[in-house]
Amino acid sequence: MQKIFNLACGSFYALGAYVGVSAVGWYVGAGGPPALFIVPLAVAGLAVGAVGVVVERGLLRFVYDRDETFQLLMTFAVVLMMEDAIRLTWGTAPRSTGGLYLAYGQVRILGATAPVYNLIVIAASLAIALAIGWLLTRTAFGRIIRATADNRDMAEALGVDMRRVYAKVFTLGTALGTLGGALVIPATAAMSEMGIELIVEAFAVVVIGGLGSMRCAFVGALAVGILRSIAISVYPELEMLLIYLIVIAVLVVRPRGLFGGAEA
Amino acid sequence: MTRFSQATPDPLRPRGPRDNDTSRRQFLKLLSAGAGAAAATRLDAPFASAQATGPVKIGVLTIRAGVAAPVGAAGLRATEWWAERLNKGGGILGRQVQLVVEEESNPKDTVERYRKLVLQDKVEVVLGGISTGVTLALGPVAEDLGTPWLSWDGTTQKGVEETMPNPKWTFKSVDNEVEAIVAGILTPKYFKGIKTVAGIGNDYSYGHDCWESYQAVLKRYIPDVKFVLELFPKLGVTDFTSHIAAIQQSKADLLMCSFWSGDATIIMKQAAAVGLFKTMKGVFTTAGGVHDSLKKEFTPEGLLLGYNTMYFDDPKASPLLKQFVHEYKAKYNEYPPYECDHAFFDAESYKVAVEKAAGAGKKWPEKAQVVKALEGLEIESLSGRRSWREDHVQMCNFYQGITTHKNAYDFVTISPIEIVSTKQAMKPAGSKLFDWINGWKV
Repeated sequence: MQKIFNLACGSFYALGAYVGVSAVGWYVGAGGPPALFIVPLAVAGLAVGAVGVVVERGLLRFVYDRDETFQLLMTFAVVLMMEDAIRLTWGTAPRSTGGLYLAYGQVRILGATAPVYNLIVIAASLAIALAIGWLLTRTAFGRIIRATADNRDMAEALGVDMRRVYAKVFTLGTALGTLGGALVIPATAAMSEMGIELIVEAFAVVVIGGLGSMRCAFVGALAVGILRSIAISVYPELEMLLIYLIVIAVLVVRPRGLFGGAEA
Repeated sequence: MTRFSQATPDPLRPRGPRDNDTSRRQFLKLLSAGAGAAAATRLDAPFASAQATGPVKIGVLTIRAGVAAPVGAAGLRATEWWAERLNKGGGILGRQVQLVVEEESNPKDTVERYRKLVLQDKVEVVLGGISTGVTLALGPVAEDLGTPWLSWDGTTQKGVEETMPNPKWTFKSVDNEVEAIVAGILTPKYFKGIKTVAGIGNDYSYGHDCWESYQAVLKRYIPDVKFVLELFPKLGVTDFTSHIAAIQQSKADLLMCSFWSGDATIIMKQAAAVGLFKTMKGVFTTAGGVHDSLKKEFTPEGLLLGYNTMYFDDPKASPLLKQFVHEYKAKYNEYPPYECDHAFFDAESYKVAVEKAAGAGKKWPEKAQVVKALEGLEIESLSGRRSWREDHVQMCNFYQGITTHKNAYDFVTISPIEIVSTKQAMKPAGSKLFDWINGWKV
């Protein structure tokens, strides 16, 4: 919507992961029941999304009308600064939530064992996707967002306060990133460079899915995840190659993405 | 731009061993002091008297960022512990030790920092270097600059083959693939009836070389063993769900994993979540590097786990190791990993070599004399007796064993403990790895 190339989205994901680890560490240290660890994790992940306001008001608003290369360079600078800030705050060693990942046990589905926590995260992701869909299509704020995305000048002429809309939308996006980072952390470990890893995958997702709509990103993300898993099972050497071959093919044959509309 | 011919001395070119300590500034100082004539004949002689006073500067190269940062931190901590202890005891030949720390990052930048340590800081020796990708580039530079360099964990191997068989100033770590070879020797002892094996390692030289070496060794003990799957995710991946699903599908009897950083902990956790090791044996050649993150909640008993060259909980630990573990835990609230031992060995062997080269006269020796004294030197390190082979490669013991929950920690330890010497598990100087393995009498 803001027509800005924001590489720092990966850094917000990493920030959410680290804050999530700290929140859970504090919660467990304070004697909280392990079964409820997901509550402080999600709350901390969402709360740290407030950093979006600072980045948007403090930096991005100055570059909305600048060249895309400039936006790219500035958000990349944010990536590097946040990586160092994370190192300074949490140190360089990977941080994890220990064995809490297994706190909810496992279930057997179609002959395979799956950790219940993974199912909770999948359910949470679907709920978030539906909630965002509802926000965009069924609320007044959603209509304003869509109108602004379609024609910023017209929306502004009709009385939309662009400053507030941009701040809100960017903060919402940041909070989704930080929440994602927090939710993924019990299954893995927080590492300062995890943000950059995510940016690369996110790039593949938006190219394959197509820019411009939540639905495209959702389908793109599913496509990348499933293709990667299939490649690892069938021909592991193709794990990374396959995704980028598809990225190249999409860029050449259908630059708007497999699921992007003509005007997306 | 003017190019200097071969015959023209290049003022920017690093100085070689012949003129190692004589700088232009020192030369001008001498001239201004009216000693021009004397200096003209002394250009090639090091300023031994000027160097032999004041603190001994020791350069340290360590990784500070990325997945290997904890390894770098451990090496630096052990070096600092060594220096502090040494300085309290009077230093080396009465001189205090002063560490000059620089970062190891990519090969190009690290080479520049190495030059800075030698040419600008004028250190007596450089310690450190972890990634072979970096140390492969440092080797020729160290030879050119003529100052001893003792690598912690990096080698000058390209793949499994040595690129610098006869170095003068470079002292290298143990061959990269040794822990995989040790694991290959121990696998048939602890896991009977293994017919199929899957492997996972990082997609760079270490991961591939460990897998190749492990396969070659295991085939010697179990000729009909089948290697049914090999996976090489890139360094830094934090989601192994799909890899673990593929490993499960392979229905292998055993999984060999050479992860050595935070990824070892992550794969262990994600494997536990789907019960992988309920049906499969596991060999983690190098995960002892992050041993205290392998919590009992998700690390099962019965895996073969490698600790590289030092096991912090060795019941036969020397008083030195016990003291180190105690003080390390008190200071950092962690239990030390193996990199501490490599770093301590390098620093301590340098000190012993200087004292040996100085002889009874206790005159500070030339760098070349220190190098001679290092060759073949055996000393007491944290893990016990360790030595330098004549071709400048570390000789030591490797510790591996079967994971157990029967301990006072919240993470796994090993019992029984197997100790395998590099005399058994490292290719002899000048030999080809796979020829050597295939020549074993098993």
